[in-house]
Amino acid sequence: MNEMHFGNRIRQALNQGLRLEKSHVERLRAARERALARQRPEPAPALAWADNVLGGLGGWSGVSLRLVAPFAALAISVAALYTWQQNRVISDFEEIDAMLLTDDLPIDAYLDRGFQNWLKKRVSEQ
Amino acid sequence: MPDYNAVDGGLTLASRSELSAFLEGVERRAFKQALFAVRDEQAALDIVQDAMLRLAEKYGHRPAAELPLLFHRIVQNAIRDWFRRQKVRSLWTTLLSSLSGGTEDEDRDPLETLEAADGSNRESTPEEQLEQTQVLEIIEQELSRLPERQRQAFIMRYWEELDVAETAQVMGCSEGSVKTHCSRATHALASALKARGITL
Repeated sequence: MNEMHFGNRIRQALNQGLRLEKSHVERLRAARERALARQRPEPAPALAWADNVLGGLGGWSGVSLRLVAPFAALAISVAALYTWQQNRVISDFEEIDAMLLTDDLPIDAYLDRGFQNWLKKRVSEQ
Repeated sequence: MPDYNAVDGGLTLASRSELSAFLEGVERRAFKQALFAVRDEQAALDIVQDAMLRLAEKYGHRPAAELPLLFHRIVQNAIRDWFRRQKVRSLWTTLLSSLSGGTEDEDRDPLETLEAADGSNRESTPEEQLEQTQVLEIIEQELSRLPERQRQAFIMRYWEELDVAETAQVMGCSEGSVKTHCSRATHALASALKARGITL
């Protein structure tokens, strides 16, 4: 059986059945006029260009995949790096504080710049 | 002559009159397609109305050449959405349809008005007209009985006259799937029609 020939015969038959009830025709006409009243106006040239670029990327759904995902990954990486750095600085201060608190030091030692440098050097060596 | 209101990368943007002409040309076939799928005239009219509104609101500024694919895709999505809603509300639908006696529409032949409205075929005898109506009714019944994807592919290819690539785009599947669906639909439809004494 020739599929194309069969399809064409079916199309001819179906086209004969396109005469609808008057009420249905009226309903479709009203729906069409409502749709035309809401036709989206032509966008400004810049917006039209942007829309074309987005269309080339696969529409708004394509944008979410191809543009937003890399930016989101970059933002997450930067945030993770910043958090790690902050934790490292806090950890350094905690170690110095702990050493100061556990050792029996005279109060003048806290004011000695050389002592502080020695502490930092010791921490960095560890 | 169509009034071209803008040019977009070599493609002409759809003007109001072009959109109107497009919708007028496609609305009845879209209604029939929806009717084949949902088998409910009011639901089919709602689906076409929603599809028209969605096309005009979201894609009314797109080039005229893109309107057919966009509209067919919107219609298919609207039909799918309707089935999803029906599934969720199946309990209520069953209850309401049994209470409201909704089988009246199903029993009524939607093509009963065809003969009365048919003014262009005066040369046919009443017997021929009746036969045409009956054949059309059987074809539409058998189309409705096809699996959804097969019916979609067949209608897009042979009624809407989209090519395989366009049909695949509308249906969101591969071109190979479209060919398979079309082939199966053709054989199933031909067998069903032959079994009912109709050979095309």
